[in-house]
Amino acid sequence: MATISANPKRKISRFNRFDNPWLNPFLITGVFLIVIILLGAFIGQFTWDSDLALVGNSPLKQPPVGVSHTTLRGTSVGTWEHPLGTDGDGRDMLAVMIVGAPRTLAIGFIAAAAGMGFGILLGFMAGFMGGRVDDVIRIASDTTITIPSILVLIVIQSVIPVNLVGMALLISAFAWPGPTRLIRGQVLSMKESGYVKMARISGASTFDIMFKEMMPNLIPYLAASFIGNMQGSILAAIGLEVLGLGPQRVPTLGKSIYWSVQLSGLSQGLWWWWGFPALILVVIFVGLLLINLGLDEISNPRLRQKVE
Amino acid sequence: MKLSRLFMALITFALIALAFAQTPRNETVIFDIDGGNVTAPTNFNWMVPGTARNQGMHQAVWEPLFILNYETGEIMPYLGTSFTANESLDVWTLKIRDGVKWADGEAFNADDVVFTLNLLLGDETMTLGGAADMQQWVTDVAKVDDLTVQFNLKAPNPRFQLDYWSVRIWGGIIILPEHVWAGQDPFTFTNYDPAKGWPLGTGAYKLTSASETRFTYERDDNWWGKDVGIPEMGISGLPAPKYLVWEVTGAEENKVQLASQGELDSIMDVTLGGFEAMVANNPNIEAWVDGMPYVWFDPCPRQLSVNNMVAPWDNAEMRWALNDLMDRQQIIDVAYEGTTIPSQTMFVEYGGLLPYINAITGAGMTLGTTADVEKGKALIEKNGYALNSNGFYEKDGKVLSIEIQTHEAFIEKARIAAVLVEQYRKAGIDASTRAVAGATWDENKRFGNYEGVLDWDACGSINEPWNSMNRFTSRFLKPIGEASPGTNNHVRWSGANNDAYSAIVEKIGVLPLGDPSIEGMVVEAYQHLYDDMPFIPITQARKLVPFDTTYWTGWPTQENNYNHPATWWMSTHQIIHNLKPTGN
Repeated sequence: MATISANPKRKISRFNRFDNPWLNPFLITGVFLIVIILLGAFIGQFTWDSDLALVGNSPLKQPPVGVSHTTLRGTSVGTWEHPLGTDGDGRDMLAVMIVGAPRTLAIGFIAAAAGMGFGILLGFMAGFMGGRVDDVIRIASDTTITIPSILVLIVIQSVIPVNLVGMALLISAFAWPGPTRLIRGQVLSMKESGYVKMARISGASTFDIMFKEMMPNLIPYLAASFIGNMQGSILAAIGLEVLGLGPQRVPTLGKSIYWSVQLSGLSQGLWWWWGFPALILVVIFVGLLLINLGLDEISNPRLRQKVE
Repeated sequence: MKLSRLFMALITFALIALAFAQTPRNETVIFDIDGGNVTAPTNFNWMVPGTARNQGMHQAVWEPLFILNYETGEIMPYLGTSFTANESLDVWTLKIRDGVKWADGEAFNADDVVFTLNLLLGDETMTLGGAADMQQWVTDVAKVDDLTVQFNLKAPNPRFQLDYWSVRIWGGIIILPEHVWAGQDPFTFTNYDPAKGWPLGTGAYKLTSASETRFTYERDDNWWGKDVGIPEMGISGLPAPKYLVWEVTGAEENKVQLASQGELDSIMDVTLGGFEAMVANNPNIEAWVDGMPYVWFDPCPRQLSVNNMVAPWDNAEMRWALNDLMDRQQIIDVAYEGTTIPSQTMFVEYGGLLPYINAITGAGMTLGTTADVEKGKALIEKNGYALNSNGFYEKDGKVLSIEIQTHEAFIEKARIAAVLVEQYRKAGIDASTRAVAGATWDENKRFGNYEGVLDWDACGSINEPWNSMNRFTSRFLKPIGEASPGTNNHVRWSGANNDAYSAIVEKIGVLPLGDPSIEGMVVEAYQHLYDDMPFIPITQARKLVPFDTTYWTGWPTQENNYNHPATWWMSTHQIIHNLKPTGN
C-alpha cells in the first residue's frame, strides 16, 4: 500500500482500492467456464436422451456431424442424430458429455467438501486449542500428506467396488491434511489478534470464537483452498478412471478415455472418443484454475494491487 | 490430426523403448500375452492354481507328449510316440520317444512320467493342476521299461490320450523332471533357480529373464531334437528364431501401436477395429482368414455362469429369466462388432460336435438369438417379484439384483458384461458388473464367491461331447467356501436334474468314441441341463489373432493350416518350429 502511494506515477493495474474485489477477471472467467459446462449439462438433461450414454444404445464408431471416417470396411459420415459421434461401444458422445461432465465435477465437489469439512474442524481445533490436540492433529496430517494417495486409492478400489459418492469419499480421505495445515496456520496467527482476545474476555465459548468470530475472516482462504482441493480430487478421480477403476456403468470423462485406450480409439482415428472428454476436462481444469487465481487475489490484496 | 499424430508418435516411442529387446530384432520373435501382469514371475510351479504357464514356458520350454491337429483331427506324436489302449479301453500304454533329454542332459524317461502321475494321484486336496482329472480316471501307473509306461484306469476311457495329453485345449499335464521335483513340496516349490538351470524343460529354449511384464528365452543349441527332430511333425533340426520374447502389452492401444511399428510378431487377440488400424499402418500383418471376419474360433464359448447356491439364482426359473432376457445378437453387434455367432448350446460349434448340437436343438432345446423379454419378465413375476417405482423388480423389500464379475485384464468379457447389464436393467433387474483382479476372479469362482461371472467354463469338448458335459457333474460339486476341483461345476449345480444328468454323462464317458448310442444319451442328459439352465451360453469365442510377417513367415493361417493359430497354447512349439526368417 505504501509503495503504491509513494509514487503517484504508478497506477494500479487491474483495480483500485474502491473496486469490488469479487469482480476479479480471473474469477469471472473461471466461473463462466464452469457455468458453461454445468449449464450445458443441465440443458442437455432436458433436451437430449441421457440413456444414449449407456453401452449399446447407439450405433458404433459414428463420427461427429460433418466428419467422415474411413476403415477397411468403408466410410461412415456423421449425422445430427449423434452430433459428437459415438464410441466403440455404442455410447453417444454428446450424451456422455452431458452425463459425464457434471459427474466429474460432482466427484471433485464432494471430495473437496468432505476433505475441507474435516480439515476446517481439525485445523481450528489444532490452531486454537493447541497443546496435545495440536500435536496429534499436526502429526496425523503431516503423516497423511506423505502417503502416496493415488497408489492407496488404486489398491482399495481394485478390491472394493465403489459408486461415484464412494469414490469421492475415498479421495477425500486424503484431501484433509492440506486444509488442516492451512487453517491451523491462519488460526495460530489470528488467535493473537485483538478481536479474538476481546471475544475471549467477553466469555464467548471456544466454538463461538472459532466458528463465529474467526471463520468469517477465513472465507476467501477457504474458498481458494476448496477450489484447489477440487482440482486435486478431480485429478485423482480421472487418474483412477483412466485406469479402469471407479463407477463402471454410467460414464465419466475419465472412463471414456479408459475405454478409448482399451479399444485402440487413438489408433483407429476415433479422435472424438477421447478428444471430447479431454477437451471438457481441459475446460474444467482451466476454469477451476482461474477461479483459484481469482480467489487468491481476493484473499490476498497484495496480489491484486500489482503495479505496472 | 497433427496433435494426435504427435501423441501417437510419443506413445509409440515410449512403447518401443520399453519393448526393445537387447536381442537382434531379426533373430527374435516377440509374442503378445493377455491376462495382465504376471504377479509372481519367478514361480514356475504350473500345478498351483493361478500360476502362469503361458508366459512362454509351455509354448517353448515344457514340451507336450502329443499335439492335437485341429485341422486334421489327428493326434501328432511329440515327446510320446504312441499312446494305445487295450480292447476294454481301461489300460493305456504310453511309448516315449527315444533320445529326449532335459536341458541339463538328464534323460526324459518313464521315471519322470510315473513320478508326475504319482504326485498328482497323491494330492488329497485335488487342487494341483491335473490332480482331479487323474484321480477321476487313474488307478495307478507302472513303468514297463525306460520308454514305456502303463496307465491302469478305474473305468474305460476312450478319450484318455486326447483329453489330458494332446493339448486338446490350451495345455495339459506337463511331465515333471523327477530329479528336480523329488523331495520338493509340490504346493510351495517355485521351481526357479537360474544357477541350477531351473525351470527345467525339454524344449528348444531356455528361460533367460523373467519379470511381471516380460519373459525372454534363448535357443538351446544342444536341444535333444537338433539332430533327430520330430519327423512325424515335420520338425527337423533347431528352430530358426534364436530368441523368443513374451510380453504383457496391456491395453489394445499398446498392441496396435507396437504391431504397427513391427515390434510384435504375434498378437493374442484384438478387436476388428484394432486389427484394421494395425493393418493400415503395417500391411505385413495377416490373420487366420484373409478377409472379413478374419477370425479363428477358439473352443471355449463365452457364458454367464450363475451361482446356483445363491438366492434367488438358486431357482431354475430365475436363471431361465436371465436366459430369456439375454439378447445375444446385440452382444455380438456391440462387443464383437459382428465378428462371431451366438451359441446354440454349451458346445463350441466345430464340425465334430455339430451332430450333437443339431440333435439337441432338433429336440427343441434352443436358445434365442434375441431376447424374449415378456417371457423373462413373466418368470420373474411368477416368483413373486413386482416392479418398484425405480423400475426394478422387488420382493419382500429386496430389489432383484445380480453382480456379474469379470476378469479385469480380459476386455472382451467386460464388454459382454456391459451389454448384458444394460439388457437386464432395462428388463427390471438391478444388474451391475465388477472387474476384479485375475487371481481374485479365479479364486471367487473356485470358492463360489459370486452371483454371476463371465467366463468360459463349459470349455472342454472339441469333437465329442463328454468332456464339456463332465465338467458339470455332481462329482465336482462343492459347497460355497470349498474349492471346486479345476473350476469344474463351480456354478454348483445340484438337485434331481443334476443327479440324472451326471448318471447319463458317466455312462457316456465309458463308451467308445463315435458310439451310435451317444447322441441319444447326450440329448437325454442335455434336457436335464436345459431345464435347470445352471449357466447361460452366450456366444462362440472368436479370436482375431494377427501375425506380422515382416521378420518371420510360416505363421498358421487358413491357407497354411498346419494347425490353429493360438500362440498362448502349448501347441505353439509346432508354430515356432515352422517359422522362417524373412531376412529383414
